[in-house]
Amino acid sequence: MRQIAIYGKGGIGKSTTTQNLTAGLASLGKKIMVVGCDPKADSTRLLLGGLSQKSVLDTLRDEGNDVDLDSILKPGFQGIKCVESGGPEPGVGCAGRGIITSINMLEQLGAYTEELDYVFYDVLGDVVCGGFAMPIREGKAQEIYIVASGEMMALYAANNIAKGIRKYANSGGVRLGGIICNSRKVDREHDLLTAFAKELGSQLIYFVPRDNIVQRAEINKKTVIEYDSEAEQADEYRALAEAINNNKQFVIPQPMTQDRLEEILIEFGLNG
Amino acid sequence: MAVSLKQSSVATRESRLGSVTGYSGDLYDIIHQSKCGTLKNKERCFSQSSTCNASCSLGQLSGIRDIAIINHAPSGCTAMASGTDVINSQLATKRGVTNATVFVGTDMDEHDTVFGATGNLKDIILETYNRYKPKAIFIGTSCLSGIIGEDVDSVVRKRKKEIPEDIPVATVHCEGFRSRIWATGFDASDHVILSSVVKPPKKKSNKINFKNFYESARNEIIELFANFGVEPVFFYQNATIEELSELSEALATVNICGVLGSYLGNGLQEQYGVPYVNTVNPLGVAGFEAWLRGIGKVIGKEAEVEEYIKTERVKYLDKIEEVKKELKGLRAVLGMGPGYTYEVARVLQELGIEVVWAASWHHDKKHDSEELPASLQYLDEHSDYNFKVSVADQQNYEILNILNEHKPDIYFSRHPGTTVWAIKQGCAALCVNDEYMIFGYKGTLDFAYTVLDTIKNRSFEKNLAARIKLPYTDWWYKQNNSTFFDGEGK
Repeated sequence: MRQIAIYGKGGIGKSTTTQNLTAGLASLGKKIMVVGCDPKADSTRLLLGGLSQKSVLDTLRDEGNDVDLDSILKPGFQGIKCVESGGPEPGVGCAGRGIITSINMLEQLGAYTEELDYVFYDVLGDVVCGGFAMPIREGKAQEIYIVASGEMMALYAANNIAKGIRKYANSGGVRLGGIICNSRKVDREHDLLTAFAKELGSQLIYFVPRDNIVQRAEINKKTVIEYDSEAEQADEYRALAEAINNNKQFVIPQPMTQDRLEEILIEFGLNG
Repeated sequence: MAVSLKQSSVATRESRLGSVTGYSGDLYDIIHQSKCGTLKNKERCFSQSSTCNASCSLGQLSGIRDIAIINHAPSGCTAMASGTDVINSQLATKRGVTNATVFVGTDMDEHDTVFGATGNLKDIILETYNRYKPKAIFIGTSCLSGIIGEDVDSVVRKRKKEIPEDIPVATVHCEGFRSRIWATGFDASDHVILSSVVKPPKKKSNKINFKNFYESARNEIIELFANFGVEPVFFYQNATIEELSELSEALATVNICGVLGSYLGNGLQEQYGVPYVNTVNPLGVAGFEAWLRGIGKVIGKEAEVEEYIKTERVKYLDKIEEVKKELKGLRAVLGMGPGYTYEVARVLQELGIEVVWAASWHHDKKHDSEELPASLQYLDEHSDYNFKVSVADQQNYEILNILNEHKPDIYFSRHPGTTVWAIKQGCAALCVNDEYMIFGYKGTLDFAYTVLDTIKNRSFEKNLAARIKLPYTDWWYKQNNSTFFDGEGK
């Protein structure tokens, strides 16, 4: 079983990318579970054809015997198992603790079954406290992919996340598998991301082009592969899936200084 | 679900055993609902404080000799250290051994809360080892470390490499907010022992693992077991890490309290095939005999046990029957943990005392054997009459309301201070403080005499109650004791 965590700046397209990529993996015949680790609980909408009804944390008050794994773990597109951690509304409680509690509960309920090939953790944008690093603790995700674009803030966030990864990589087994570019059609985006990834000691594992079909599919609560299997973008996601499936490069990232990041941006980010 | 040692955190009683802290009804109903799984917890809209499972788990472990407990918590959570020091030194002296266990805390403050404190924890683990050379180090978690998501497990994993291999270093996950039930703390301590201290068996010994609280009947039991060629090993108080590492080699595991012993007893059985004698506890005649027979069966000494029972019965049964005559007609209320309330209720019935109300502090629908707790099973089969049962979560106002309404002859409880309130309200009370008070034939007989002494002259309670004003209003005494359950009351 490969356990993979997807991180990246809020709004960069982690959930979209994860769901489309797992749809691609499912076409390769893989058995997959997607665990949403965002209190917004919107990580599996495209696979389930709508927002998940009951999250893991919703069951916190139910008595042990009453918690039915089937009520929170639902099969979606191509049989991909979907579960949402859930969490508090904005401005209250502690979402980080929510993730810790939720993943512990999933373990105790026996959600991690033998026949799974992949478990994906789609984690909320900014890793602001210990709880959001729960998916990369020992025994959980061994690989991380950071979704970024050529925008300055996305790269700044990616670099910051790499610091957290390095800390956990130094004491455990987790590694950075690569950067996934979710294109924003920024100047020389491909070159910029390639250089950025290289500076981190990693690789640009795939460049996903921007295409409005992704939005159209989302509005229809579907992944692109389900919405229009023949579309070019569907092939892109299948190729991303292949790249992940075949990836052998796993590193401890080397986060860069702010100055170095800005140098790279100036060198590659401006046309000419 | 079965005992699972792969996770670092034991599942709470609520989620593992469907345990509840609020219920009001009767014996037959609670047994029925436990069996068919319909029992639902009743929340209270008002509650006085209860007990933290962290104090339970760390309190249990801190009784082990010559170890270190590091409480990764703010300083207040470590205030329990002084109490454990006193217990440890007194009980070690009583037995003629020494206990050099230290209980320290990492004193987490605001800075630690914001920036994390795993760096400090790393240093403290090493310093604790270097300073005290403990035989094991257990790191407790707290509400604070839990909320900020401190990855204590990986700190421990890393630091373990710098400490000699034979010294267990492990995390006890006991964040207070995880469970309303203190017994989850018992499970957390058992979990860490099973996963980091107990070693696979190298041989079979002639020992019986005896999980209890404070081993006050130690000598008596050593003598008793010698009749059958076996030796008891009591824990966790005064036990050593070496003894605990050999728990897997024992002939059987027994306990003085089904709630205390469930996780470890079933765990040792599942992991190492050590039979768990899961009968009612050895209080009262029927209990003692069932328990002894259970042990006899497992160690292949059934004949010897029958012989022993025969001899002892001759000494005690007639005397017990004599006292029973004077206890007839007495009405009692109990308030204890479920490991004791149902067991003592059973003994009271055996002595001819009527059980009017049994309040237990929490209720497990089942134990880790996946079966109804033995004491409930027994009452289901043997109780001639139904009696009122509530799950009172140590809420004293509920107990005093019950005592006022039903005016029993005597109230039995077990935890410090609980009987004092009853006495101040004018109700005779007996504190079944020591876990072995009713142990065996002799204990049962002594207990019967003590009950008699307690109710023979009730002027103390009457006089005291006449001169004390309790904090409860007249309004409260007119309400149903379960008024504060959500959805209940007028």
